[in-house]
Amino acid sequence: MTLRIVGVAATIAVALLAGWLAMLSLIHGDVALPGLSATLPMLRLDYGVSLLAVPFLALLAFLGIAVALWSGRRGAPLDTVLIAAFTASMLVVLVARSVTSFFLAWEAMSLVSAFLVVAHHEQRGVRRAAFVYLGIAQTGALCVLAALVLLALHAGSPAFAAIARAAPALAPGLRTTVFVLALVGFGSKAGLMPLHFWLPLAHPVAPANASAMLSGAMLKVALYGLCLVVFALAAPGPANWGIALVAIGTFSSVGGVLYALVDHDLKRLLAYHSVENVGIIVIGLGVAQLGLASGNAPLAALALTAAFFHTINHGLFKGLLFLGAGTVSETEGTVDLERLGGLWGHLVWTAPLFLIGCAAITGLPPFNGFASEWLTFQSLIAGWPAGTAAVKLVLLASVAGLALTGGLAAACFVKVFGVVFLGRSRREAPARAPVRERFDLSALGLAVLAALCTLFGLVPMLAVAPLNHVAAAIAGAVPIPMPALPVLPATLILLPLAGALLAALLAAQRGVRRVPTWTCGSPVTPAAQYTATAFSKPLRTIFAFALLPERQRVYEFGPSRWFARRIRYRTESRYLIDEAARYFSAAVLRLARRTRIVQSGSLRLYLAYALAALVLTVALTR
Amino acid sequence: MSVLATVLLIAFAPLVQGAMKRLRARLQRRPGPAVIQPYRDLVKLWRKDALLPEGASVLTVLAPGIVLGVALAFAAVVPIAAGAPAAIDVVALVFLLAVGRFVLSLAALDTRSAFAGMAASREMTFGSLVEPTLLVALLGGAALGGGTGIAGLQHIPLGLAGMLAFAAFFLVLLSETARVPIDNQETHYELTMIHEGLVLEYAGWQLALLQFAAYLQQLSWLFLAALLLPGDTWWAHALWVIAIAVAITIVETAWAKVRLFDVPQLLTTAFVLAATSIGLRLLGGAE
Repeated sequence: MTLRIVGVAATIAVALLAGWLAMLSLIHGDVALPGLSATLPMLRLDYGVSLLAVPFLALLAFLGIAVALWSGRRGAPLDTVLIAAFTASMLVVLVARSVTSFFLAWEAMSLVSAFLVVAHHEQRGVRRAAFVYLGIAQTGALCVLAALVLLALHAGSPAFAAIARAAPALAPGLRTTVFVLALVGFGSKAGLMPLHFWLPLAHPVAPANASAMLSGAMLKVALYGLCLVVFALAAPGPANWGIALVAIGTFSSVGGVLYALVDHDLKRLLAYHSVENVGIIVIGLGVAQLGLASGNAPLAALALTAAFFHTINHGLFKGLLFLGAGTVSETEGTVDLERLGGLWGHLVWTAPLFLIGCAAITGLPPFNGFASEWLTFQSLIAGWPAGTAAVKLVLLASVAGLALTGGLAAACFVKVFGVVFLGRSRREAPARAPVRERFDLSALGLAVLAALCTLFGLVPMLAVAPLNHVAAAIAGAVPIPMPALPVLPATLILLPLAGALLAALLAAQRGVRRVPTWTCGSPVTPAAQYTATAFSKPLRTIFAFALLPERQRVYEFGPSRWFARRIRYRTESRYLIDEAARYFSAAVLRLARRTRIVQSGSLRLYLAYALAALVLTVALTR
Repeated sequence: MSVLATVLLIAFAPLVQGAMKRLRARLQRRPGPAVIQPYRDLVKLWRKDALLPEGASVLTVLAPGIVLGVALAFAAVVPIAAGAPAAIDVVALVFLLAVGRFVLSLAALDTRSAFAGMAASREMTFGSLVEPTLLVALLGGAALGGGTGIAGLQHIPLGLAGMLAFAAFFLVLLSETARVPIDNQETHYELTMIHEGLVLEYAGWQLALLQFAAYLQQLSWLFLAALLLPGDTWWAHALWVIAIAVAITIVETAWAKVRLFDVPQLLTTAFVLAATSIGLRLLGGAE
């Protein structure tokens, strides 16, 4: 119990610190924090808050508090302590102002999150997921390190301030190399397609509160790294970077939502939606880069605002959904969509709050996802008039892709909410009578996030105004008047609400007779309800060219060979990217076996290695 | 002015449905129901009790009201004449309409009826395919006209590009108003229906709310489509609305319903048309 209290208190403390630092920077601009200048100038540790970190710090504050509240009631006690450490490491990444301090914090973040992923290590799949996660994290970290070291060597100093000052003099080849390395390094951590494959492995096995933090916050910290390189350390980049980012973002958003549609593990499905939403954010970043490269600062500011706003929003609703999935997992013992159903009846708090999360992630008004997706659309369209034909083509494809993503996400979350919370349980016989949920700390955590989703949807200016201030500072524009917000006139939000009220009043006054489900007269059993597999069948067929579904039908016959007693139906998609990754990792493992000869296990040899590394470091950094 | 327009839309929505039904019957050499039959149906349904499946959640009780509210909002923002202020832009409109789709599909799944679930699945599937086409067709004008406002649509010259955009929009219209090549309003044959399947478990006054919302949404779609066609006056738009309604009815009579898995081809065709329209505008420069 004390362990849990310590973890929760520490997480809240770190979250409050993050919020305070964000406020500080918002008021005073860039603020330097006490650092540590080691004897070796190349290894100095600098800390400070930059304006660029403000949206990410704010997200860490909101999400940290909500996750801590949820963990006060649910989850394993040890996890809460790890989450506090994880939150702290992300905070340090965001305030690191030199290559060394950034990379140390980055590695700490990767390691602590790997501990969270491997929490249920007694299962084989969990260890495998953690191994893949560590592998991709370290590969990405190497790319990040290479990019940052290249920049530091060019600038002659590891301090971010010095690197940014020296950035305009970067040679084009070096600049492009740094961009590609950063894109691979940070993109793999952020879950951008095609380097997303660790996400759907790690999320289902990590505890729910860890998933909320991983998906809601850590992916965003990776995006912060990408922003840092693109908009500060290696700026100004060419327009091609923008085109590449918009294209990758669109690919990621459509691909992520497609895989989410055919997945029936609630947490893995949410992981794929993270791939989708990171894609939407990267579209915004790409348009911002296009704006900067073409000297259109207002466009860059608009697009950055959209990207930052969606960053925060995704953290809020994805945190809400993952924590809700955690509550479902604890009360029902499964997150398999084919076995759930009818939770609305007893999860009386989680169900409506989860519905708000579903509506928000789908981009339905009046929730926050709508406001930021709308801004992203606005920035795509604002980039139109100035663009060359190639840019216009990419923007058009992106508009269509984003619209398709929105529609598919709606389909997916109708599936999720309808199958999990509505209807009736799909299990043969429930293990025990469901217990009516009470309003506890966990529900409070969900409620905080749902309230923020609604607030930022109804009054987007609350978030957009400060974010626009930050974006304008980065883009070098005076804060521009945003497109008229709120985007939906109040009357339009009120009309559906008034309609709901009318329906409720009419139902109260005239009454609604309850009868058995009619369904054209056929018998209604829990098993006859539409399932998640059935629901996604049309889309699986339409997008068969991308999903490559394989189905398997097994008939069991009784006495007659004309009437099957039982039909088993299985369908599975092929994951081409994952298969390619498997080949790649097999090749790497073969290579690793070759290099194992340096690992003799002898202590003396290892000490010699350490000495050699030290000598080399001193020699190189002098 | 705009309130008056909305009131007119509300008043005439069932009439348009009745007229289209009557016209289709005449084209098929049947007498058909009276033009005012939808009003009678609504009154009859309104007087009857509502029935809902046992155990259906409060969401299912609220859904008809929310859907009606969305339809009213749509009717309130669609301009019935050029220059009428549009309080909403195209992107927001698409997302607003998604709210109705989302809520009604959830209610369908809540009833536990397999047919309603099937309809929900199809509604969300085709809805997701329609959205990109809709946005590209509508933004095709807006992107060059500046901004995403609905008002920007009215200043598109009707060249080849405009006609392609309208053709794309027409296919979207058939899907969104549940018309024959995609859906079928006339039948309750469970394997073909989409919209009828969604409301399968509703009855009485709740069904009346839903039916009326569908009529109202249909008329609003017609007015939105008329914006893509030339003409600045309210009567020109009204004439276009009538012409489009007649065209839909002729299509319904002349075409057969396509197989479910051929519908995506139809909708993809619409998307290609819309994208081509933008491509043409690009080639032609700023017209």
